[in-house]
Amino acid sequence: MAATKRGHAPPDGGWGWAVVFGAFISIGFSYAFPKSLTIYFKEIQEYFTVSYSEIAWLSSVMLASMYAGGPVSSILVNRYGSRPVVMVGGLMVSAGMVLASFGRTIMHLYLCVGVIGGLGLALNLQPALTIIGTYFQVKRPMANGIAMAGSPVILFTLAPLNQFLFDSFGWRGSFLILGGIVLNCCVAGALMRPVNNNTRPKPKTEPPERNGAAAEEAAAASDTGEQDESESQGCLHKFIDVSLFKHRGFLIYLIGNVVMFFGFFAPVVFMAAYAKHQGIDEYSAAFLLSIFALVDMFMRPATGFIGNSKWVRPRIQYFFSFAVSFNGVCHLLCPLLPGYVGLVVYAVIFGLAFGMVCALLFEVLMDLVGAKRFSSAVGLVTIIECGPVLLGPPLSGALVDIFGEYKYMYYACGVFMLVPGIFFFIMHYFNYKKLDEEKRQNVPVDMRTCEEAVQLKMSQDSNTAHDTDG
Amino acid sequence: MAECCFIHFSRGDVSHRVRASTLHAGESHTENVELLNPVNLALQCTWTGNQNKLPNITGFWRKDGDEVENSRVTVQLEGDEYELKRVFSIVSEESLGSYSCVFGSEAKIEFVLAAPQIGEVRDKPIVSYVGDSVVIACKMEETKPKPGSWNWYKANGTDKEQIFVVAEPLRYEIKNEERKTKLVVHNLTEADGGLYYCGAVYAISTTMGHVELKVISFQEPLKPFIAIVIEVIVLVAAILLYEKSQSKKNYTEGSNRETQGENNGPEGSSSTRQRKI
Repeated sequence: MAATKRGHAPPDGGWGWAVVFGAFISIGFSYAFPKSLTIYFKEIQEYFTVSYSEIAWLSSVMLASMYAGGPVSSILVNRYGSRPVVMVGGLMVSAGMVLASFGRTIMHLYLCVGVIGGLGLALNLQPALTIIGTYFQVKRPMANGIAMAGSPVILFTLAPLNQFLFDSFGWRGSFLILGGIVLNCCVAGALMRPVNNNTRPKPKTEPPERNGAAAEEAAAASDTGEQDESESQGCLHKFIDVSLFKHRGFLIYLIGNVVMFFGFFAPVVFMAAYAKHQGIDEYSAAFLLSIFALVDMFMRPATGFIGNSKWVRPRIQYFFSFAVSFNGVCHLLCPLLPGYVGLVVYAVIFGLAFGMVCALLFEVLMDLVGAKRFSSAVGLVTIIECGPVLLGPPLSGALVDIFGEYKYMYYACGVFMLVPGIFFFIMHYFNYKKLDEEKRQNVPVDMRTCEEAVQLKMSQDSNTAHDTDG
Repeated sequence: MAECCFIHFSRGDVSHRVRASTLHAGESHTENVELLNPVNLALQCTWTGNQNKLPNITGFWRKDGDEVENSRVTVQLEGDEYELKRVFSIVSEESLGSYSCVFGSEAKIEFVLAAPQIGEVRDKPIVSYVGDSVVIACKMEETKPKPGSWNWYKANGTDKEQIFVVAEPLRYEIKNEERKTKLVVHNLTEADGGLYYCGAVYAISTTMGHVELKVISFQEPLKPFIAIVIEVIVLVAAILLYEKSQSKKNYTEGSNRETQGENNGPEGSSSTRQRKI
């Protein structure tokens, strides 16, 4: 089925692994960079004489820009492909950091680091995820798992690096040098060669609908580029595929994810604070986070490997549902574990659960909507997820403040993850049933409005062309 | 093992405080005593003795290692214990220091008398740039009593020179809150680098904390930045050139494949059309 849709089989290897490495770097910077900047907050707060919440806004603005920039990123990737977008993204973040190093007011930092930097990171994240789908089909869960491992690995390297830069150069010099380091995203972008480039020269830009003979050639030839163009011109939704909102799988994913993200990040954010609240010293509390990150780092490719196995792959949505539910159960049981040993056990199990969900997060979306519509899908998902991601930690913080203890926050997070997990299990059971039915009726399932209309149109055009010739 | 108890009572404007410590086996022990104001402090040591349990032993007091004049006394064994007690007049910074009670040649308890110490001191230097401004802060912990005021000093060789804002109002700014103080230095030059001392002023003395300031020029971080930019440009160029050479190789192969593809075109399209229906 993939062959007919795309016109060629994804390489599933070869240069694809270099692309996975590039995606590893891009995804890693996108997720880890905002978190790693928190080391500078104290000094910047002193320098500009602002309150703690004002400096924390910097993280929020950056994260918000990154998520809100999702659709923009998708549109650009749909039009220009992954490579140029990632390179422009890398340049943007770099420029933002360099400009910020000369900043005189906190507003300057919000704009440079927050808005420009955040947008640049958005232009890194989406294309990196998208290109994996074009290079891999059979080994895709593995590729996704490895690429997503970029986030904890780069966070692990950036954290001590940032501390070293801060001690040597203060915050201004550090921002300048970070601007250079983040420029390596452009190197990652250079690796993201468009998947057809070395088998065929750039296709002609004549749209196939106007030329009957050319339409036939497009149907026969193995060229994604021309087909993409005809579809994007045939559909009303030229820039972003809004018909996804009628896609069953997409809707299940979206609804579940929106609820899930309320409880997803808060436990990570509050882990050290919770440990200190239990009376644990600062270094041991920080060590918990390191344990968590280490387990997460290894769990992501491992999950990719499991997801790739022949037992799991056909029903990978259940694996994802299990991962989400596992997270929920983990948070519900956490407050029951006593002492530092209990917290270490929790950190390990949470690391496992978090790694599983992260490795599968985009793989299951690709599995549901297909690689072609993935770019638009992920753009829509990120902008809608923007809300819960930003609101989650402050709401959890409010819960802690109201009740004075952390266990209610963990219960809430547990529920926010367990309910979507169960929702996923049930909905995907029905979805798989329906997919199997549709397969039996021989209708290709992920061809929806756009593609069917275009195929029909192309066959009509070639019919008329033949009539005129004949 | 040593126990200690603390009794405080005041009479009029002179407060008497008693600080007591008990030593069991033949060891030594150190007590930290925090003082804010001038006070007559009574220090009391009790020793349970060793195996011999002599009826009389000599005890004396030491200040900073030197024996205190006229402090040698003969201590009687009372109720299985020996006791040494003396009142010291702590009026100024010189009176502060280490006081020890010594029993015979074995047992010793040390009392370290000091004003509240500044706990959280940044041990690594603060880095700032020429022409920029910097904020140096000192903080007295919440658990310790708050100082009357704060002073700032800059190290000049082995000496400390106090910083007065009135002398150079454009360059220095001191912002004081109860437990925190901030020194802001504007328009930094390389000469501004060095050790700065913040002094928490108490009636009895001023305790110091120090912070080091390093002033560097903007070229320092610029060097690694340019090195990284060059590395990125080299890598990107290498990757793109490699790709170009690969595609040139495939282009010649590809054009051969294309002509074959066109011949198969019409047959291919009919088969796909059937599949569509």
